[in-house]
Amino acid sequence: MTAGAIWVLLTIIAELSFTSLNIFGDAASEQGEFIDDAFVLLMLLAIPILTFVITMIGYVFFKFRAKGDELEDSAPTRTHTKWVGFWLIWTTVLCLVVIVHPGYTGLLEIRQTSAEEPDLTVNVTGRRWQWMYEYEGRGVQLLMKDDTLVLPNHSLIRFNITAEDQDVIHSFWIPAFRMKIDAVPGLTTYMDVNTTEIGHFNDDVNFRVQCAELCGKDHSLMFTRVEVVEPAEFEQWITNR
Amino acid sequence: MAAFMPLVRGAIYAVIGFVIGAGISLGITSITGEDSTEPLIVLGYVFAVIGWLMGVGMWRTWGRGWFGKPTENNPGGGWERYIRFNTDHKVIGIQYVVIFVVVFLLAGLLAMLIRVELADAGQNVMTSTNFNTTMSLHGIMMIAVAVAIMMGGFANYVLPLIIGAEDVAFPRVNALSFWVVPPVVVLLLLSPLFGGFDTGWTAYPPLATQTPIGGLLFELAFLTFGISSILGGLNFIATIITQRAPGMTWGRLPIFAWAVLAASVISLTATQWVAYGMLMIIFERIFNMVFFSPPGGNALLYEHVFWFYSHPAVYIMILPAFGAELEIISHFARKPLFAYRWVVRAFGLIVFLSFLVWAHHLFTSGMGDELHGPFMVLTELISIPTGIVFLSALGTLWRSKIRLKVPLLFAVGVVFNFTIGGLTGIFLADVATDIALQDTYFVVAHFHYTIMGGEIFGAFAAGYYWFPKITGRMYNETLGRIHFALMFIFFNITFLAMFIPGTVGMNRRIAEYPPEFEFMNLVTTIASIGLGLAFVPWVYNMLNSWIRGPKAPDNPWDAKTLEWQTSSPPPLENFEEMPTVTGDAYGYGDESVVHSVFGRRKGSAHPPVPAEGD
Repeated sequence: MTAGAIWVLLTIIAELSFTSLNIFGDAASEQGEFIDDAFVLLMLLAIPILTFVITMIGYVFFKFRAKGDELEDSAPTRTHTKWVGFWLIWTTVLCLVVIVHPGYTGLLEIRQTSAEEPDLTVNVTGRRWQWMYEYEGRGVQLLMKDDTLVLPNHSLIRFNITAEDQDVIHSFWIPAFRMKIDAVPGLTTYMDVNTTEIGHFNDDVNFRVQCAELCGKDHSLMFTRVEVVEPAEFEQWITNR
Repeated sequence: MAAFMPLVRGAIYAVIGFVIGAGISLGITSITGEDSTEPLIVLGYVFAVIGWLMGVGMWRTWGRGWFGKPTENNPGGGWERYIRFNTDHKVIGIQYVVIFVVVFLLAGLLAMLIRVELADAGQNVMTSTNFNTTMSLHGIMMIAVAVAIMMGGFANYVLPLIIGAEDVAFPRVNALSFWVVPPVVVLLLLSPLFGGFDTGWTAYPPLATQTPIGGLLFELAFLTFGISSILGGLNFIATIITQRAPGMTWGRLPIFAWAVLAASVISLTATQWVAYGMLMIIFERIFNMVFFSPPGGNALLYEHVFWFYSHPAVYIMILPAFGAELEIISHFARKPLFAYRWVVRAFGLIVFLSFLVWAHHLFTSGMGDELHGPFMVLTELISIPTGIVFLSALGTLWRSKIRLKVPLLFAVGVVFNFTIGGLTGIFLADVATDIALQDTYFVVAHFHYTIMGGEIFGAFAAGYYWFPKITGRMYNETLGRIHFALMFIFFNITFLAMFIPGTVGMNRRIAEYPPEFEFMNLVTTIASIGLGLAFVPWVYNMLNSWIRGPKAPDNPWDAKTLEWQTSSPPPLENFEEMPTVTGDAYGYGDESVVHSVFGRRKGSAHPPVPAEGD
C-alpha cells in the first residue's frame, strides 16, 4: 500500500514536471511536430515505469534489510503465477500500443512517399565536407559552403539525396524539421518535409543542414545554414538568383 | 628472468614471423607490380600472430603433439603461469580480467580527453583528426572490454566452477582465445602512430577503405578479436553441454550459466559476420576487390553485415551481466530467484530476437521503406523478455532479507541504470522518434546507460562478488561503498545530462558544435571527471586487498552455488572431491533443497546420484 502510494505520487510529480518543460522548442515541419508529440507520448508512458523501479528499489532497501549481520533466510517464494501473468500482460499490451502508435502511425506520417506532387524538389549532393543543392526545374544551384539553403514555408519539399561517387556516406539532417536520411554514394535517398514555420539559422541553430554520419576530418563543420521564408519571398529569392 | 622467457620468445618469434610474411608479400607484389605496403602489413601480421602464439607456449603445450612429440603440461603454481600459454580456466580468467581492466582504464582516459575537448564549443586540445581517432579508439577499446570482461574474464573463471567441472571442454582452445588478445591490444595502441582511423568503431566503408594504415591495423585487430570471441563462445557451449556435474540438470543450472550459454550462442554465430565484414574491407584495401565501395560495391550491404553482428553483440555484453546480477541478488537477498524458469525462457527469447532486429540501426540509412515496420516491431518485442529480468530482480528483492554488501549495491545499480537504458531504447526503436534522434547524443547517452550502466556495473558487481574466490582475500567494504556511491552518482549525472543536447539537436562524433549546446556539455564534462575519479578508490582497494587483505573464507557470502564449496582460490582442477548436484542453487529458506553433496572421487564415472523430487 505504502509503496503504491509513493509510486503514484512520484509518477504524478514526474509527469507534471516533464509536461511543464518545453525542452524542444517548436518543430518547423509537420513531420517534426508528429515526432515531438511521439517523443512526449513515449516519455509519458516511460515515466511510470521508471518511477515504479525507483519506488521498488527504495522501498525494499528501506523495508526488507537484514538487521545487523544476522543471516536469516527469507520465506522461499519461488514464483507467483498471477504476478508473472500480470507482468507479461502489461508489458505486452504496452508494447503493442507503442507499435501501433506512434509506431505504425509514424511510419505512415514520415516514411510514406507523398501522393501529392511536391511544391519544390531539391537535389542534394554531399561530399567531404560540404553540401551542394540544385533546385530542380528552377535553374538555381548552391555550390558554395557558405550559401544559405532557402526554403518556402507551408510547402511540401522533396529532397533527393546522394553523395559523390568517390566520396563517403554522409547524413542529411535538418534538426528544425527533426528529419534525416543518409547520403550514400551510388544510391539516391529521399526525404519529404512539409514546412510549417519560418526561421533562420541566426535565430535558431536548428535551422541548419548538419552532416550526421561520421565522414572524416571536418565532419563537425559540414553544415549549411537554412532559412525558411514565406512562399512569395522565396519566389523573389529564386528570381534574384 | 626465466619467467619472462615465454613472452620474450613470443615477441622474437613474432618479429621473425613478420619478416617472413612481409618477405613473401614483397616477393609477390614485386612480380605483380601492385602497391606493396598494405599487403606486406597484412601477411606479415598473420605470420607474426602465429609466431607469437607458438613462442608464448602454444608450441610446447600443444603444437608438438601435432607431430607426435610429447607436450609439456602446465606448470603448477607461481605467478609465472599468468604470463605464458596456460590452459587452466582460472588462470585464463584472471589474464582476461587484468588485461581488460588495463584496456578499460586506458579507454577511460581517452574518454576524459574527449570530454575535455567537448567542454566548450570550439577546438580545445585536439585537431579534429586527432579527436576522431581518440573517439574511435575509445569506442573500439570499450567494445572489446564490454565483450570480453564478462565472457572472457568472469565466465571463464566462474563457469566451470559453478557447473562443477574441472575445466572447460577445450582448455587449449581457451588459452588460444586469450593469447590472440595481446596482438589486438598492440595493434590498437599502435594505430595512432600510423595515422589513426577516423571511422568510429563502426568503420563504415567507403570511409573505412580510405583510412591511413592506422585504419588497417584497426580492421586487423577487430578481425583477430572476432576469432577470439568465436572460439570462446564455442568453448562455453561445449562446456555447459558436456561438463556439468552429475545431477546438474538443466532445471538446476544456475542462472549465470544460462546467461553465459545464451551469450555464447550469439558469440559463436553472430561474430562470424563482423569477421567477414572486416575481411572484406581488408580485401578491398589489399586486393582492390569491390564489395562495399561504389561504383560496383554497395555501402548499405556493409551496414547490414556489420549490425547483424553488432546488435546481437550487445547481448553478448549484457546477458552475462544480467546473469551475475540475478545470481547476486538471490544470494544477498537470501531468497530463491524469483520466476527462474521464466528468466531462462526470457534469455532464450532474447537470443532469438537479437538476430532479428539489426536493421533498427538503419532507419535513416536509406534502406527500403518496407523494412522499417518489421524491424520496429521486432525490436520493441524485445522489451517483453527484458521485462522478465526486471520482474525477477524486483520479485526476488520483495519480502527478502537483504544484506547490503557492495556486490548487491552494484547489482541493484544495474536494475536502475538499465531501466533508463531500456526505456530510452524504445525511443530509438520507434521509427519516428529515431529519425530525429539517430546519430545524436541521445544515442550516445542511451548506449552508455545500457553498456556501462548495465554491463559494466554488472561486471563490478561480479568483480566484488567473486573477488574473495579469485584472490583468496577480502576486499575493503567501506572503500567498495565509496566507489559505488561515487560511480553511481557521477555516472548518472554524466549521462542523464547527455540526453539533453541530443534531444535538442547536437549530433554525435563531432569535435566542434554550436555554442548553444555548451552548458549541458560542460555539466557532462565536469561530472565525467568525477566519474573518472570514482575509479581511484577501486583501483587502490583491489590492489591493496589482493596483496594484503584479510584471508577470505571459502564461502564468505554463504551462497549455495558450487564455486563457493571449494577453497578460495580453488585448487588446480577446482575441487578436491567432485560435487554431485541434488537440488537447485536457490533453496534459501527451504531446508529440503540441498544443492550439492561432495565425496565423489575425481575421475570416477558419472553415476548420477538419483535426484530427489525432480
